[in-house]
Amino acid sequence: MTAAVVRRGALARTKWYLNCSMSIGQLPLRRSQSTFNHFVGSTKLQPSSTPPTPKPDAKPFRLAVKDNIATEEFPTQCASGVLGQHASPFEATIVRQLRARGASVVGKTNMDEFGMGSHSVNSIHGPVRNPLAPAGEDVSAGGSSGGSAVAVALDDADIALGTDTGGSVRLPAAYTGIVGYKPSYGMLSRFGVVPYANSLDTVGLLARDVESIRRLVFDTRLYEEHDPSDPTSLSVETRQRCSKAAPAALPDLSHLTIGVPVEYNINELDPAIRDAWAATASALESQGARIVPVSLPSTKEALCAYYILAPAEASSNLAKYDGVRYGIRGTEGDAAGETLYSEARGAGFGPEVKRRILLGTYSLSSEAMDNYFIQAQKIRRLIQQDFDRVFKLDNPLYEPRQFDLSEMSADTALEDKQGPVQVDFLLSPTAPTYPPKLSDIMKRSSIDAYMNDVLTVPASLAGLPAVSVPVKIDQSHQFPTGLQLIAQYWDDRRLLALADKVVKLMAA
Amino acid sequence: MSRRSVGELSRYLLEGRISQRGCINGRRLSSRTVPVWSSLRPPYALRHLHTQPEPAAAAASSQPIHVPLRKQLKEQAKQAKKQGKKKSKGDSQTVDGWELTVGIEIHAQLNTSRKLFSPAATSFNDEPNSHVALFDVAMPGSQPLFQKETLIPAIRAALALNCEIQPISRFDRKHYFWWDQPSGYQITQFYEPFAKKGHITLLARDGISTEDGESVTVGIKQVQLEQDTAKTLAQTGSVHWLDFNRVGVPLIEIITEPEIHHPRTAAVFVRKIQLLLNTVDSCVSGMETGGLRADVNVSVRRTDDPSKKLGTRTEIKNLSTIKAVEDAIIAERDRQIRQLEAGGVIAGETRGWTIGSKETRRLRGKEGEVDYRYMPDPDLPPLVIGNDLVQRLQTSLAVLPDTELDKLVNHYGLTPKDALSLITLDNGSRVQYFYRVLALLESKLQAELDIADLPEVKSYSTLAGNWILHELGRLTTYKAGPLASGDLSFTQLGECAQVSEEDLSQLLYHLYRKHITGKVAKELLMAVYLGELEGGILEAINGNDLWFKEISQEEYEALAAEAAAGEDKVLEEFADEQKYPQGKLMYLVGKMMRLGPTERIDPAVAENAMRQWIERFHGR
Repeated sequence: MTAAVVRRGALARTKWYLNCSMSIGQLPLRRSQSTFNHFVGSTKLQPSSTPPTPKPDAKPFRLAVKDNIATEEFPTQCASGVLGQHASPFEATIVRQLRARGASVVGKTNMDEFGMGSHSVNSIHGPVRNPLAPAGEDVSAGGSSGGSAVAVALDDADIALGTDTGGSVRLPAAYTGIVGYKPSYGMLSRFGVVPYANSLDTVGLLARDVESIRRLVFDTRLYEEHDPSDPTSLSVETRQRCSKAAPAALPDLSHLTIGVPVEYNINELDPAIRDAWAATASALESQGARIVPVSLPSTKEALCAYYILAPAEASSNLAKYDGVRYGIRGTEGDAAGETLYSEARGAGFGPEVKRRILLGTYSLSSEAMDNYFIQAQKIRRLIQQDFDRVFKLDNPLYEPRQFDLSEMSADTALEDKQGPVQVDFLLSPTAPTYPPKLSDIMKRSSIDAYMNDVLTVPASLAGLPAVSVPVKIDQSHQFPTGLQLIAQYWDDRRLLALADKVVKLMAA
Repeated sequence: MSRRSVGELSRYLLEGRISQRGCINGRRLSSRTVPVWSSLRPPYALRHLHTQPEPAAAAASSQPIHVPLRKQLKEQAKQAKKQGKKKSKGDSQTVDGWELTVGIEIHAQLNTSRKLFSPAATSFNDEPNSHVALFDVAMPGSQPLFQKETLIPAIRAALALNCEIQPISRFDRKHYFWWDQPSGYQITQFYEPFAKKGHITLLARDGISTEDGESVTVGIKQVQLEQDTAKTLAQTGSVHWLDFNRVGVPLIEIITEPEIHHPRTAAVFVRKIQLLLNTVDSCVSGMETGGLRADVNVSVRRTDDPSKKLGTRTEIKNLSTIKAVEDAIIAERDRQIRQLEAGGVIAGETRGWTIGSKETRRLRGKEGEVDYRYMPDPDLPPLVIGNDLVQRLQTSLAVLPDTELDKLVNHYGLTPKDALSLITLDNGSRVQYFYRVLALLESKLQAELDIADLPEVKSYSTLAGNWILHELGRLTTYKAGPLASGDLSFTQLGECAQVSEEDLSQLLYHLYRKHITGKVAKELLMAVYLGELEGGILEAINGNDLWFKEISQEEYEALAAEAAAGEDKVLEEFADEQKYPQGKLMYLVGKMMRLGPTERIDPAVAENAMRQWIERFHGR
């Protein structure tokens, strides 16, 4: 962090987002002027609705908002040409909820276009750069919520909102050395979040420490609030039922079993990351926690399933950007025999978005649907069952399920006659490598970039809460290691409590 | 439940009159409101389309034939001649050696106040773009919110079509680009629709093709909920304006099995669906207002091998009138047969139909077919429909037109055509009025007669039906004079402001009991209608001594003899027993009526007397 703080000192102290002299309608500042390019230049808007009434216990804090979450004070552009200067007529529920809790929005953060990417380079505003990188080196800040992570890492914001579809909050948190939390699917409202893949999208929170996230979500009872505008927001009754199903407090570590999923120990894993993972597991064990290897056999299929399902939903969600209401209409096209809207869509979307739209369009086509989309959904179900099998807690969304031993791999060790061991949490790395250089990313294929999500995608497919925390065992190493903790559905409160313990334990 | 909708529907069906209210805001008009235009065209004018001329006995009392009607018929005949329509459509129902197979998809706007996935109001002809929620224009970050009220008319429709309501159904996205589709997809129910496996039966009286015999049952494959699109308002040049008020308005799509084999039957099917949907209050707007649209799938195969699979089908999109359904099917069938007979093949393609044209036209072929890439909507939970709701809607479902028609025909003895007129007139209020009058007439008869002497229901219900349809209808046919602006108005419950059910039942009671003559009854009815009777029917009869004091049998015989005097030539015509000259008999009866005191003569008795006199004259 020190290096980053030093470098940041060299920056002009004028925060662009407080530059009120800029009037509406002026051209936006190009964020390439900023060293890390984490904020999106945009003119401030006149909000059309009154600000939310602050709660009695509201404490002021600075909030950075990913640019795919609708705000009234700033345009919502999703780092895309099709939504250039899009002024949302409404504000996302999560933003209003946080404003009522004392948040002031300091700006919109740069990202991968519509959330599609793992390095925050697929942006019309140019790539976000990692402040932890040595001077003169352009390194990935992770994506797609890279701008949000950097805003927090640089102390430009106390909390940042990101979105996590397949790891987009956890990965940049890991790369920039902060905490990134993806809650259980359905806990935080998605109303006002421009969808990438609705069934996977979750609003996530980024902060420098776990405690500020835990306070915001649980002490201010954010987790209890149902949003009637979001059909996927859990009802109050379901929230209560889920909360009853999960223990409220984290017991002493000596009462916890933490699983280390063997399938996450992939060949591509950076040895230093593997060391950090092992060291953290040992540290927890030394504190009395029981560490056991567990098997999640469907993990290897997760990435394939994710890269079928997410683009499929994306191709559908992005069909609305056709130049009629959003994007710039082409001068040609739309004539008989020509493809409708191709010009507007061709000009408005970046290459990665186009790639995923085409992928999704294909996997949903009548000839490919059965072999791709349907199969991927089946894998998704298997992955979710893998998790249910290893967690001690039942998944409160499903009827309790008996697992047949024949469904498990033959080498699964049995705990007792009840079956294999079950765990409270899972511990794994967040990313297989440390943040790559931007120049290396440009040289690689998009498939290589997809590989980065291999460890974060399973929890997304299962809708489970997960948090990435920074751990540094080798002080000489440039970057901290992001370690991921995963919990059973709606066990978020204990997950964050454990994450806090891990951070403190490893810092000591 | 409101029955108003039936009448409204019949106005487009039978008169081609476009509703002044939409499907949607129908609720807002008071049921008592009688739109101004209804006086311009009296409901009576409907008669020529679905009632027969009155029976001969009634005609004997020299009623003037309704002039506008005659004129209309004449003009129609002239029109038909001009168009060279020598053969009726009946001839075009089949083609020798070929079998036609038709499947139909009907889209109908549901009668709801909210859109399917947003709380925006549904509207009709309101200020464009005045009822638009964020989701309706696919605002980034907005989400669909299923409006569960829309289920009520949807389930009613499915029940009217005898469908099985599915406890769990789901919503899917159907993708295609068009400017009237803001999200780039339509939310529909492709994989798991909410209703399946229904059927409706079409009867001969519905007007099905004679080749289909007495009845034909058409299977309903499924009924699904889906969104409507925005309305395009074409401007000059290549400019189009979009009105998003309609986008997201709930529709049901009704998909039949390919089980229709005659063009007329297909058209009758669409008309019957309209009637059913109106009766159960699912949809109050018809084809002409765009509230209902039909697509038809047409294929032909040679009849020599019935086991052969169906021929390649083409789809004709967006048929907007009942007539277009029949005409387009005939044109497409003939085109396919011509093509096949010339050794060609049928390409599976989408075709269009312009009203008034003779040929369908190609819209797009297989290569232009859109792959809709159906995907379950990831924002919308499954739709769970409880059995309690289905049961409740089933028991409160309005009596379906067929059930009511059956009762009117079988129990009350009305002709099918009269029964149909009765239930479609005045938004269904006329038949309610009929029931009210009949109940009063019945109680009067019961009060006056011993139970053993009570007549059969049909004997007086047909009289009541006749009067309520035809005599009442006659009152409002005057185009000039003081009666020209007159009108009959009915409440939804069947109360008539101009002719109370008490007055009419009193009148019919005396007529039925032969206390008064038909002529007197008609005059009294007119007086009631004009509000000229101050003290009621009984006082008017008493005050003006209108009671029917029938002459004696001897007087009848004397009159017959008097009328026959000097008519030797006429009488000669009765000599041949094989060919009874009924017309001549009526001529002689008419003479009797003129010679005697008309108001004291019952024409039927007079006829009988004359007949007997003639028989005696010829020594039989």
